[in-house]
Amino acid sequence: MRRNRGGIGVAPQGSYQAGAEEAATLARLRAGDQAAFRTLVRERHGRLLRLAGAFCRNRASAEEVVQETWLAVITGLHGFSGEAPLAAWINGILVNKAKTRAVRDGRMVNFSDLARDEGEGDAFEPERFLPDGHWAEQHRPWDALTPEREAGDRQLLAGVGEALEKLPPAQRAVVLLRDVEGLESPAICKALGISEANLRVLLHRARVKLRDAADRMVRG
Amino acid sequence: MLTCHQVAEGATEYMEGAAPPMRRLGVWAHLRVCRNCREYLRQLSRTIGLARRALVPPPAPEVEDGLAAIFAAQGRPGAAE
Repeated sequence: MRRNRGGIGVAPQGSYQAGAEEAATLARLRAGDQAAFRTLVRERHGRLLRLAGAFCRNRASAEEVVQETWLAVITGLHGFSGEAPLAAWINGILVNKAKTRAVRDGRMVNFSDLARDEGEGDAFEPERFLPDGHWAEQHRPWDALTPEREAGDRQLLAGVGEALEKLPPAQRAVVLLRDVEGLESPAICKALGISEANLRVLLHRARVKLRDAADRMVRG
Repeated sequence: MLTCHQVAEGATEYMEGAAPPMRRLGVWAHLRVCRNCREYLRQLSRTIGLARRALVPPPAPEVEDGLAAIFAAQGRPGAAE
């Protein structure tokens, strides 16, 4: 069950080497290729906005942070050495911009406080288990979730996106950084100012909620 | 023997490889005999894949055009590095 997704993180990963496709994209971007840049914007803009939303207290702030991030990406492309994946480099810029911006505006989301508030109590409602600790429910296999559906069911994937948006802020931030963007735990703890234990509690709660939402959607 | 409740509460710690050795062994032993927990952890794992593929709205055309214009200006001779 252990996932090992090395090579993706805010901090440069020593052994990372861009694949042929990423190297070609970088070369096109550095050459000023408009189509390559538009593709990058289409791929990343919404995700950046969603990630910024976890740090900022309102949509306007998040949009400004994303705009600042794109400006830094455009001016920094020639200096980017490719020591990390392009997406991770861009995410790192965004996280730094979001934190700087939030501190400047006096609107820094305190993830340590949120982690305490959102991490209280049990991740499950008590009625989900019998007094002896067994599940009160049977988890039927997700047979309806075929690989094709998992990759291309737009309604399902949009629904999961909506479920992500509904998570409390700290849970949303950790699940976006860890599961969606693939950052390593130490980088997330550093970015959010939380402990590894906080991170796991928040991540667990987020995953439990997302799994429940997915379960309802998969069964339709 | 750990209960389903304990395994479910510790599922992320286990999946992230962060459980202490004895706890890890306890979860592993429980999963060997509990189909319901095996299925739950499998679904948690597949949920991560779904989250990674979750759709986000595309940028508004004016946002994309605005950024493309900045990108084009930056690439012109004489533009600041």
